[in-house]
Amino acid sequence: MLTMNNLSKVYRTHMIETHALRGFEIHVKEGEFVTVTGPSGSGKTSFLNIAGLLEVFTSGEYFLDGVDVKNLDDNARSKLRNEKLGFIFQGFNLIPDLNLFDNVDVPLRYRGYNSKERKDRIEHALEQVGLASRMKHYPAELSGGQQQRVAIARALAGSPRLLLADEPTGNLDTQMARSVMELLEDINSKGTTILMVTHDPELALRSQRNVHIIDGQVSDLVRVTSSLVAA
Amino acid sequence: MFNYYLKLGIRNLRRNPILTALMVITLAVGVAASMSTLTILHVMSNDPIPEKSARLLVPIIDSASLSGYVPGERTERQLMNYTDTKNMMNMNIGADRTAIYSIRTYTQSSDPSLGLVNAAGIATTASYFKMFDVPFKYGSAWSVDDENKTAKVLVLSSPASEKYFGQANPVGQTLRMGNDDYQVIGVLANWNPLPHYPNLVQGGDHFVGEDDFYVPFATAIALKLGATGDVWCSYATPKPGVEGLMDSECVWLQFWIEASSTAQIPQIKEQLDAYVNEQRKLGRIPRHEKNELLDVNDWMEYLQIVGNDNKISTWLAFGFLALCLVNTIGLLLAKFSSRAPEVGVRRALGASQAEIFKQFITEAAVLGVVGGIVGLLLSCACLWVISLQTKQMAVIAHMDGEMLIVTFVISICASVLAGLLPTWRACQVTPAIQLKSQ
Amino acid sequence: MEFRPIFSALLRNKVAPVLVAIQIALSLAILTNALYIIELRLETASRPSGLPNEQDVFYIDVGSNRDLSTQEKLDQQARFEQTILAVPGVLSATEVNEMPMSQSGLIDSIRVDPTQTKSSAGTTVYQSSHSLIKTFGLNLIAGRDFTEADVEQQNPDGVTLEPSHAIISVALGQRLFPGQTNFVGKHFYWGEGAETKIAEIVGVVERLQSPDAASGERGEFSTLVPLRKVSNTPTFVVRAEPGQRDRAMADVESALRKADGMPLRIKNHTVSGDRKQRYGTEMTMAWMLIIVSVLLVIITASGIVGMTSLWVSQRRKQIGVRRALGARRIDILRYFITENLIISCAGVVSGALLAVGLNQFLVSQLELTKLPAEYIFLGALAFVMLGLGAAYAPSWRAASISPAVATRGT
Repeated sequence: MLTMNNLSKVYRTHMIETHALRGFEIHVKEGEFVTVTGPSGSGKTSFLNIAGLLEVFTSGEYFLDGVDVKNLDDNARSKLRNEKLGFIFQGFNLIPDLNLFDNVDVPLRYRGYNSKERKDRIEHALEQVGLASRMKHYPAELSGGQQQRVAIARALAGSPRLLLADEPTGNLDTQMARSVMELLEDINSKGTTILMVTHDPELALRSQRNVHIIDGQVSDLVRVTSSLVAA
Repeated sequence: MFNYYLKLGIRNLRRNPILTALMVITLAVGVAASMSTLTILHVMSNDPIPEKSARLLVPIIDSASLSGYVPGERTERQLMNYTDTKNMMNMNIGADRTAIYSIRTYTQSSDPSLGLVNAAGIATTASYFKMFDVPFKYGSAWSVDDENKTAKVLVLSSPASEKYFGQANPVGQTLRMGNDDYQVIGVLANWNPLPHYPNLVQGGDHFVGEDDFYVPFATAIALKLGATGDVWCSYATPKPGVEGLMDSECVWLQFWIEASSTAQIPQIKEQLDAYVNEQRKLGRIPRHEKNELLDVNDWMEYLQIVGNDNKISTWLAFGFLALCLVNTIGLLLAKFSSRAPEVGVRRALGASQAEIFKQFITEAAVLGVVGGIVGLLLSCACLWVISLQTKQMAVIAHMDGEMLIVTFVISICASVLAGLLPTWRACQVTPAIQLKSQ
Repeated sequence: MEFRPIFSALLRNKVAPVLVAIQIALSLAILTNALYIIELRLETASRPSGLPNEQDVFYIDVGSNRDLSTQEKLDQQARFEQTILAVPGVLSATEVNEMPMSQSGLIDSIRVDPTQTKSSAGTTVYQSSHSLIKTFGLNLIAGRDFTEADVEQQNPDGVTLEPSHAIISVALGQRLFPGQTNFVGKHFYWGEGAETKIAEIVGVVERLQSPDAASGERGEFSTLVPLRKVSNTPTFVVRAEPGQRDRAMADVESALRKADGMPLRIKNHTVSGDRKQRYGTEMTMAWMLIIVSVLLVIITASGIVGMTSLWVSQRRKQIGVRRALGARRIDILRYFITENLIISCAGVVSGALLAVGLNQFLVSQLELTKLPAEYIFLGALAFVMLGLGAAYAPSWRAASISPAVATRGT
């Protein structure tokens, strides 16, 4: 599903070069639920951004669902993002001026579906996360957990091949976090590949596979519980 | 606290000089446009004699013939004819009264190479100077005796006296005007009411220039000094010269009545109506129009001294100020919204919403003061440019003390008004949210 | 396109869009009226007087302080005239009683039918004993100029303002005889009252403005008569050779002073100067409004640029999220342009209403005329385009926001 080979990302500002990722390598198979962990400044966010086609990388290879993304222009990357990926952010990032229906609608609008198709998809997605009854409500009227579920619905509405989640439970209390995780696992069981970046070592343990990043590189340790706890 | 806010306000405006400059310019431009037009309007509609204007009255009688008469149509003949003037002078109507007509003639200049110099003045009665509070520098007006004897005396305006006699006191000296020698018996001090309200219909431009000389009415008639102002004749064409006019029903004289107090005005009106009815019985004044008695301000309004264009300009300029105001609201909104973190901290540290309000309104007021200063400079520049356009504007387009204060008042009011919404918004900031999202 | 969500998002955040819409509305209302007034005033000020090459014409008041008999006055007048004609650079000259645009002259009411009580028209009367058509340079389009035989002399005892021959302007002809095109040979009666004299129209000039040059047709009602006035202080109108006016004016003055023994009072005027004085207020008004109009557009444009930039900066995160969700740059651009169009249209519609309202007020209170519809349409179009132009740069900057803002936050 997702393959990165010898990928590196260098940020240059004035005189300073920062190597966010170096010689990075990762393979995610279809249907997997992979967590990505690492200390702050390890390059998790850079990885996620590159994986999500939000940023370009400096060198190396990246294949997403068989497509070599290296030389794609901005428009092509936007299109790919729109069709293949679904995003879930730590801060939910719902648009406050739109109701739930319109929020889930946003990525679909860029797809070119007609209005019937969009309506069907939105209703189905909101049903999946259990919020179909509150379609006309606004994000400010929902709890954190509910907002995140809407964000998940938004990510799902376009039938993505890969879900990218950035600390999805970071802003939630334990109860809400648990229900969101259950939802994600449920989605994964139905066949959607999930790549999740997280701080939480417990969540890392729950996942099928964990990739640990230190200093911009995948660390050899795949599942080292004690080190994770110590970090 | 006010000083503190003042200092804060000034400092904050300086922190973002570009945004501040934009706000100041927008405000200043709006203020300049409205103040320039307002000043011109102010000068043109100025009451030239506020202590007395309600008591100085112009009688309007439509004494024209029936030919071409459309009942109710406003007469174009705002002057009086000789018969009515003579009668009303003798009637002792009101506390005092005067009649005026314009004379254009020439004098011998003291510089022989210049030959003859044009002179423009009026023939009037001695009561003129008392009624209009005309100040004298040298000498005085003529007496009733001088009038009865049709003495050849005259009074000069201050600039005319300097033109003919230089800086010296010319009282007692002789001045040759037209074909006659006159004795100068008085010189006016600086007297230039704007507009020149005593003689608006005949006396040339309403704002530019000044009457050079004043001669007794009886003398002017006796010497047959021609009436060069507007004359309307609706009956048969008169014979030539002043005698012809006196003999006819043509209107050519400006009449004024002074009331002893505003309470006397109804009585004067009654006298006027009674006189007109009496004249009708004698076969004159065939039209049955209502007589009118207008005080100075009504008279200026009647003659539309302030042109429509001036009023239109003022309205449009204030509309423009409104635009600048809305624009400033936007700019202040942008400016204040970026200060949400500061407000959050202040509130957390104990400031009430009222205090936040005072702080930001003060900042808006400071903007108003700076905008007022720049606006004032711009207004003066605009007025200067306008004053170059016509002779009339050269006299009118000048800022006075009253308008200067109004400039600041308008500028500060505009900026405070514009600041209300952004300030209210700033007060609504909840400290908690601001402090958390650091 | 996603019109409805954009619209409902705007409604949720009304303040800034409303401010921009109000600015557009105010600007449109003021600008349309201002431009209309500018057109009217410039039109008034550029009306031809009927005299071609005005810059070559001047007139001069000459007077002495002598007490003269009628014959002596006539002789003096003739001498003045000869002196003037002898000056090199003078093409033609004649005495005249008034000048167009000089704001000082005589108006007489005339009637077509002697029995009617109301006058047919008020006309100004230009009096001269020689051809004014020649010196003024008027365009005679029908009939003939006056001949020597037509010239009457002012009666020293009476005031003969009622000569038997007249030349009228086309505008006056159309007023006296509506619907007709030929006026030569027709008649009218001077003045009001029962006993008035009749005049025959011998010629028609294309146009000649009156001294007050009033706006509308009143300023075009002119009559020329062959009348020699007897005056101690005649006025002479002089047409100089092209480009020679100022020199001729100075030469005529010095020639007159030299020729005559006694001191004279002489006052010079130029037609160009009269035009400037007559239309001083119109031109001042036009210039003031032009400046205000330019400022209006600048301020509104800067307001739109400012507000759009503010929104963009306030919604950085949201824009990044949209990009992350698949929006291309052009989608973001289109979003903001659509927003801008909605606001501009709202502003323009209310502006059009406001423009009509403002015009109504000016028409009813301050004697303005009705604003033609084209001004509003063109103005609306212009402001929509202005809005688009002003919003373009900030919208383009919005489109350049990286999708990584969604995760990174800045």
